[in-house]
Amino acid sequence: MEDELKAIMADVLNIQKDKITYDISMDNCDTWDSLKHMELIVAIEQRFKITFTADEIVTMTNFAELKRLLKKRRDVSDGS
Amino acid sequence: MDLRNKKIIVTGGTGGIGKAVVQRLLDEGAIVGVFDIDLDGTNKLMESHHNLYGRLCDVSDSEQVKTSVNEFFCQFKTIDILINNAAFIYNSPLISLTKEGIRQHPIDMWNKVIATDLNSVFFMTLYVVEKMILTRTKGVIVNVSSIAAAGNAGQSAYSAAKAGVNGLTITWAKELSLFGIRVAGIAPGFTKTDTTLRSMNESVLNEWIKKVPLKRLGAPEEIAEGILFILRNDFCNGKILELDGGLRI
Repeated sequence: MEDELKAIMADVLNIQKDKITYDISMDNCDTWDSLKHMELIVAIEQRFKITFTADEIVTMTNFAELKRLLKKRRDVSDGS
Repeated sequence: MDLRNKKIIVTGGTGGIGKAVVQRLLDEGAIVGVFDIDLDGTNKLMESHHNLYGRLCDVSDSEQVKTSVNEFFCQFKTIDILINNAAFIYNSPLISLTKEGIRQHPIDMWNKVIATDLNSVFFMTLYVVEKMILTRTKGVIVNVSSIAAAGNAGQSAYSAAKAGVNGLTITWAKELSLFGIRVAGIAPGFTKTDTTLRSMNESVLNEWIKKVPLKRLGAPEEIAEGILFILRNDFCNGKILELDGGLRI
């Protein structure tokens, strides 16, 4: 999952995959603006067939939080 | 797109092109919300159509728009389509030289046209698209523009407002396609509505009709059919459909 998430982020944010670190966020990534953020959310939702809530979308502005909420959503959809 | 049971908001839906669009949408089985400042017109529509939700709303007022969109959404749980149709026409040269002296285009009328014809489109779309994104609704926005967007002598405010509407249409088509939301516009030429007939005298209107290759005004129902084409065709996005009888060929 983490690898796929990084691949999506690299594609949407137009940066190399190895630049997607645990610390990357909207604050320190020049290409991660508000428009790209929504593009990222839609790409993740489509890939993993999940839907984030509005509250989640506004908080997942860094890799760590993205990964945490993605895992949470996938756990919910798996019923686990 | 199949329009049956779709939840649709039409601004300025009590007269002219808006009324024709509302009727066609109801014929297709849609549930239509009409946002208008004409209380009598809205009440009359509600009396004769059970699938119609009437709402007194000045769409140039962002607070009224916010409240009205929220209430429509609370009642119907989704908004599939928005048709930004409400408009106000005011004709005046920038400067008039008359026997009485020099007359400037009134600034209050400039502000009124921009508020009604341009700001309203921004406000309505802002609040509706927020709902569409949050509910992941692959909706459609249709902005009713005008061929005056290309510039029409004597219509500074109206031309500027409609050019602005075209700019918003293209911008939003680029921005919202990501969410599966389509945005397109329709630019009617001279159409046989009360607004057109009120806004110019008969001789001026006849001069315009002579310039139209088809030698007649458009009918509101013909513009409504153009809007239905945009709604039904899922590949129509970011374009302004000109329906003007060939005036701008």
